[in-house]
Amino acid sequence: MLSKYDYFKPDTLEKALEYLEKNSETRILAGGTDLMLLLRKDAVSCEHILDIKDIPETKILSYTPKVGLFIGASIPVNRIAEDDVIRGVYPALCQAIDGLASFQIRNRATLVGNICHASPGADTSAPLLVYNAKVHIASIEGVRIVDIANFFTGVKKTTVKENEIVIGVSLPDVEQGDNSIYLRKARIKGHDLCNVGLAMRLTSKKEMYVAMAAVAPIPLRLTELEKTIGTKELTSELGPWIQEEIKKYMDPRRNSVRSSREYRFHIAGVLAKRGLLNLLEKEAK
Amino acid sequence: MCNQNGGNNCFEYVDSQMPRVPLQLVVNGEKVIEFVDPAMTLLNFLRIQLKLFGAKEGCGEGECGACTIIMDGHTVNSCLVLAVEAQDSEITTVEGLSKNGELSILQQEFINNDALQCGFCTPGMLMSARNLLDRHPEPTVEQIKEGIAGNFCRCTGYQSIIDAVISAAKREREELI
Repeated sequence: MLSKYDYFKPDTLEKALEYLEKNSETRILAGGTDLMLLLRKDAVSCEHILDIKDIPETKILSYTPKVGLFIGASIPVNRIAEDDVIRGVYPALCQAIDGLASFQIRNRATLVGNICHASPGADTSAPLLVYNAKVHIASIEGVRIVDIANFFTGVKKTTVKENEIVIGVSLPDVEQGDNSIYLRKARIKGHDLCNVGLAMRLTSKKEMYVAMAAVAPIPLRLTELEKTIGTKELTSELGPWIQEEIKKYMDPRRNSVRSSREYRFHIAGVLAKRGLLNLLEKEAK
Repeated sequence: MCNQNGGNNCFEYVDSQMPRVPLQLVVNGEKVIEFVDPAMTLLNFLRIQLKLFGAKEGCGEGECGACTIIMDGHTVNSCLVLAVEAQDSEITTVEGLSKNGELSILQQEFINNDALQCGFCTPGMLMSARNLLDRHPEPTVEQIKEGIAGNFCRCTGYQSIIDAVISAAKREREELI
């Protein structure tokens, strides 16, 4: 660690935002599972570390029927996955969390940190996309709310500015009969980042939403594919069709360390077919 | 990946020379008040300042689990936590498992089942297993595998570790009623 920084842990959002306004070169610390690595490898230099874990707004994890779910920026992902109510309402989100790294990491890592780090393969991004999540971003001017679909701007880049803090993410409530699934393929079970992550959601109105991680510079919501699915009858016969169709909407890297482009196309097709059949099967019960 | 930081061996703690900050926490049931370097990881704080050498630095990146400790009831990789983040927290390290010089049931079962060879992963493995048994007193094999998934062991092949956890769970249920 070469960085020499000021460590500041404010207990109100105002103090945090003022500190951020005054000090450029500030890194925000929540779970730290990304930041600590960067500091250790001296991949970033920062003069200030702002620990947001004492800010009350970031400590909220609450589900309200008819309103939805709010996940504060300091909430470790395990807290979300351990909540049976949340698991029942947003299954794809909890399944994505289950696949993240290891249990110890999930005790520290936060959902908001996962999207702010904005790795193209961020597992939790795809479920948030199919649930039309909103990201709450605070600055001294106030809080702006951004659709998750507009949050990612590039590889490890987001719409968050230097003087802003993401305080949380909210997911609208779902209606009875809504279901979703998250499927991922990694080189090994456990620790590894995914080669392809796929979230599918079948709403109570029988609309299919699809989002993918790790197949483009940013996590994708496949709205065009969704429109095409909407014109067809949802039966298991769609399986082979979606397996080929989904490949038109991705642009995987050509020189990735984890897998070849062809492999990602293939796996995306397999996962899409599997996800579709799984959701239709659950519906039939 | 070592020696990436300007030739300094990354396993060596380098004092950042930053002003010290007061830190108060409870480690293995004892209150600790120290002044720490804000750039120090919790792992280095435990090892260097408190001389608790149980938690090990394997990879320093949260991959191997050798530095696993229990912090406020949750297992964490202490190499990914800053010491200053542990303000007011309660920490248990492998040194806190034994009571009055006697090994805990879990530790005894690790020995009885030959669940270690070189021993480097054992402190972290014990902490993950301890936390798992606190959460699931009757764990299934699947739950045990998931519980220790963040701890690498390059000697045993894991089977003996799983056996040790199963027999420790059984003994704890029988003996600690």
